[in-house]
Amino acid sequence: MKKLLTTTAALAVLTIMAGGVYAADGKATPGKSIDMVLLPKFLGIAVFDQAHTGAAEAQKELQNPKEVQFLGPTPENSVAGQIEIVTNATTQNVGAIMISNNSGDQIVPAAKAAHDKGIKVVTWDSPIPTAEGEDVFVAQVDFNQTGQVMADMALSILPDGGEFAILSASPDAANQNAWIKAMEEALKDPKYGKLTQVDLVYGNDQSETSYSQALALVDKHPDLKLIMAPTTVGIAAAAKAMQDEKLCDKVKISGLGLPAEMVSYTMNGCAPQFALWSFVDLGYLSYYTAYMLAAGDLEAKEGAKFTAGRMGDYEITKDPTREKGLRILMGPFSVYDKSNVEAAAK
Amino acid sequence: MTWVQRRIRPEQIREFSLLLLIIIAVLVFGSLIDGYYTSRTFNRIATSVAIVTVIGAGMTLVVLTRNIDLSVGSIVGCTAYFTGVQLAANPEFGAMPAIAIAMGLGLVMGAVNGVIVAWGRVPSIIVTLGTLAIYRGILIDYSGAKTVTTDSLPTWLVDLPQLPLFTIAGLEIRAIVVLALIVVVVFQLLLTFFNFGRSFYAIGSNPDAAELVGLPKERIIFTAFALSGALAGLAGFMFLARFGNITVEAGRGLELQVVAAAVVGGVNIFGGSGTVVGAMLGAVMIGTLEQSLFRLQISEFWRDGILGLLILLAVASDAVLLNRLRALWARADMRLVAKPPSPIAREEEATP
Amino acid sequence: MTAAVQGRLMSWEGLLLAILVVIVAVNIGYSPYYLGVENIVNLFQLSIEKIIVALIMTLIIISGEIDLSVASIMGLAACVMAWMFQIGVPLPLGILAAIAIGALCGAFNGFWVAYVGLPSLAVTLAGLIGFRGAARILLEDRAIGGYPAWFNGLGQQPIFGPLTFSIIVFAVLLIVVGITLHGSALGRYIYVMGNGVEAARYSGVNVKRVKLLLFAASGAVSAIAGLLYAARLGSVRGDMAFGFELDIITIVLLGGVSIFGGSGSLLGVGLSIFLILNLRNGMGLANITGNTQTSVIGALLILSVLVPNIVQLTLKRLKGRET
Repeated sequence: MKKLLTTTAALAVLTIMAGGVYAADGKATPGKSIDMVLLPKFLGIAVFDQAHTGAAEAQKELQNPKEVQFLGPTPENSVAGQIEIVTNATTQNVGAIMISNNSGDQIVPAAKAAHDKGIKVVTWDSPIPTAEGEDVFVAQVDFNQTGQVMADMALSILPDGGEFAILSASPDAANQNAWIKAMEEALKDPKYGKLTQVDLVYGNDQSETSYSQALALVDKHPDLKLIMAPTTVGIAAAAKAMQDEKLCDKVKISGLGLPAEMVSYTMNGCAPQFALWSFVDLGYLSYYTAYMLAAGDLEAKEGAKFTAGRMGDYEITKDPTREKGLRILMGPFSVYDKSNVEAAAK
Repeated sequence: MTWVQRRIRPEQIREFSLLLLIIIAVLVFGSLIDGYYTSRTFNRIATSVAIVTVIGAGMTLVVLTRNIDLSVGSIVGCTAYFTGVQLAANPEFGAMPAIAIAMGLGLVMGAVNGVIVAWGRVPSIIVTLGTLAIYRGILIDYSGAKTVTTDSLPTWLVDLPQLPLFTIAGLEIRAIVVLALIVVVVFQLLLTFFNFGRSFYAIGSNPDAAELVGLPKERIIFTAFALSGALAGLAGFMFLARFGNITVEAGRGLELQVVAAAVVGGVNIFGGSGTVVGAMLGAVMIGTLEQSLFRLQISEFWRDGILGLLILLAVASDAVLLNRLRALWARADMRLVAKPPSPIAREEEATP
Repeated sequence: MTAAVQGRLMSWEGLLLAILVVIVAVNIGYSPYYLGVENIVNLFQLSIEKIIVALIMTLIIISGEIDLSVASIMGLAACVMAWMFQIGVPLPLGILAAIAIGALCGAFNGFWVAYVGLPSLAVTLAGLIGFRGAARILLEDRAIGGYPAWFNGLGQQPIFGPLTFSIIVFAVLLIVVGITLHGSALGRYIYVMGNGVEAARYSGVNVKRVKLLLFAASGAVSAIAGLLYAARLGSVRGDMAFGFELDIITIVLLGGVSIFGGSGSLLGVGLSIFLILNLRNGMGLANITGNTQTSVIGALLILSVLVPNIVQLTLKRLKGRET
């Protein structure tokens, strides 16, 4: 009997110890001092500031004494600037780089160099298309679902169908390109049969270019009824353009926008519906992911599960929207219209 | 012909020829595009040209004195943003205070350029390349990389771009366009009829001679830059009204557009000749080409290529034309020189 | 060059050297990574294409002209190479074609400037817009990558010790331009033309041909730089190297080359290159954003001319009071 008890006790202790060894399984170890870099597409856009807020919140929770470095290039120098920041971060041997990739595949050599040195490379918002040099991509929403949501919004704004055009950001933005492809796929379903896409133009995430492009779309396509802009800068500029030209009754605007920037256009009917997710949450989750990878609490492989603070449990899966690459899917869309936009804009 | 040659300089013929080119372009595009001759096309071109024209007036002043101001884009960005922030915080401000704030800030920034160029004797391309970067940097730091949103701006400002001042023959003339025209007229008159304005030409065509004659060179150059800054500030206000959402990147690249407009408009990059009206016509020419190419369903990737070619043609034909005209004028002048009196007539005079 | 001019130049280079020493000292003090081989290579690599073009831009500006279209030629050449690669043309042929196109663009610029007599600011401004447009026509909104490893290696891999091919190209060009500018008849012609085109013409210099040659060379070198940039990035897009011309011109002007032509030395430009590279690198390691970096360099540019001017003026005033 004593032997049985002792053995059970010993087994219990061993199990608890073993459990302790895997206690890092899924939970972050707070307090580690890790240099982390948060690298948006470029500085000066509100959504990226929100991501920074989220990342800073995560850093406080995890008690990382090193403040997250929020570094970004200027918009017209985005590609060269992102490459430079990744290269310098590599030299300084940081723990992790979190990048919203605006450089397509041109970032690959720099990302691979960082990765080879043992630095964790986590992409968020916009991934590296070929996934080379990347540990995992934190996707704000499922990219295919984005296409579906945009198609649904288009149908709800134009129930009888009609012509629409897409105003995107930069031609090399992996996220916008994926969303547009997904939307085109979604539109193949016969229930969207009456919607026809007539054009695709790029505003490069700049107000003036997006504004001019929106006007040009209206000029080129006199029967245009909707401009879909999956970029927060583009949608705001297009809405202002329609408002200035008093075209809001004829041409509606939709896409992905920030409630704070779009509230006046939604209330006056120019942009009856648009969608987004929480960039604060995206920054928070990306930080948690990068931290846990760098601290050894998490491995970047398919099936790995972890808990990201207040946001709950997540699992790393294969990314179904790219040929290669792993993904963490964050969460839900919010669709805004007259009923909820004012509350969200606070 | 001699009457013409006595009254009108070759440069003015040049402006007429540019006007002619614009009319030809409009006719050509009108035949290629349906629904081209509408109020909408006019407004599309006019409003996009208005901002460049206002800055162009200031740039003309600077270029006339044999300098250049590359910092106008950053000045527009700074003034647009700063004015936007002030209006958001004080919605009771009207148009006048807003314009005053914008122009005031622009004046200060231009004055800094002016001091360093005129009294620090640093070449203007160096100074304005530097301030282009520094002013943009100040804007990014001041703004904390935030955006001015349309939502925070007073309604009168947001509605301003659509505001038609009056209608001529069904053509809506908007307030912003009128503002640009007023600027052009005021400065053209200043340059043509006032001594102070004419001194800009003197400084540019022969700085040493101008100094010998006693013109206050430094003060004139300083004034050119200060005015350029103030006009860029006004353009910043117009920019704020037009786009509403002002990011820290506002106005980037404008300087190149303005220089292109001035060059096409016949403002000599070496100083000493050109007019504000010319710069405006240059802006109109480029704006017409740009907007019309948009309409022609030409892939946007072709647009820039064609635009570059057209600018080159405009400058080349301009130079060739101007040289021919100047030669023509010179030959006419030779003929105007009084023929020496014939020997018979002289004898008749001598002997009463 | 007169002794007075030479004296002034000497002091400019001295000033640059002094600033360079300060910057290097600060960098060493600030970051332990600064002196590592990896960082020194990165220091060059991140801007290697710009400094290659700066060498040829020096010749152009000293000769009294300017070339704003260099960045667009860089982009166009890369796009030509990428486009030909994509349709199946063997890569070496594509590279040769790209360089040829670059030289042609430069010659096009040179023709209008030298033979028609248009101001180079206007012509190359049109080129800046037009050549970029041509690049976009070729590639539209696509990015073309997937080059063979030997090509990417040109821009990324060290081939001679830690030095990459790009760095070696820079070193070779530095020597070539140095010899041309300071040790050959062509170099003297360039200075003479910068000081006064008419005087040059009367001295028997074939101004037209030299200008055409310079612009063609500028185009060819820009094309090579564009290809090296493509190799470093591993991918080509229609808007690559956008806006590089401002940095390139800043480097040359900071090196003491007068914007009006006729004076300046390669030593000054070389010092300016090291200065700006070290400054950028140091600021980058200190996590100062790209925008602030550009502001600092802008301020440096202004102060580098302003301070000596003020010193001269005050000296003159003091001397005036003594007599």
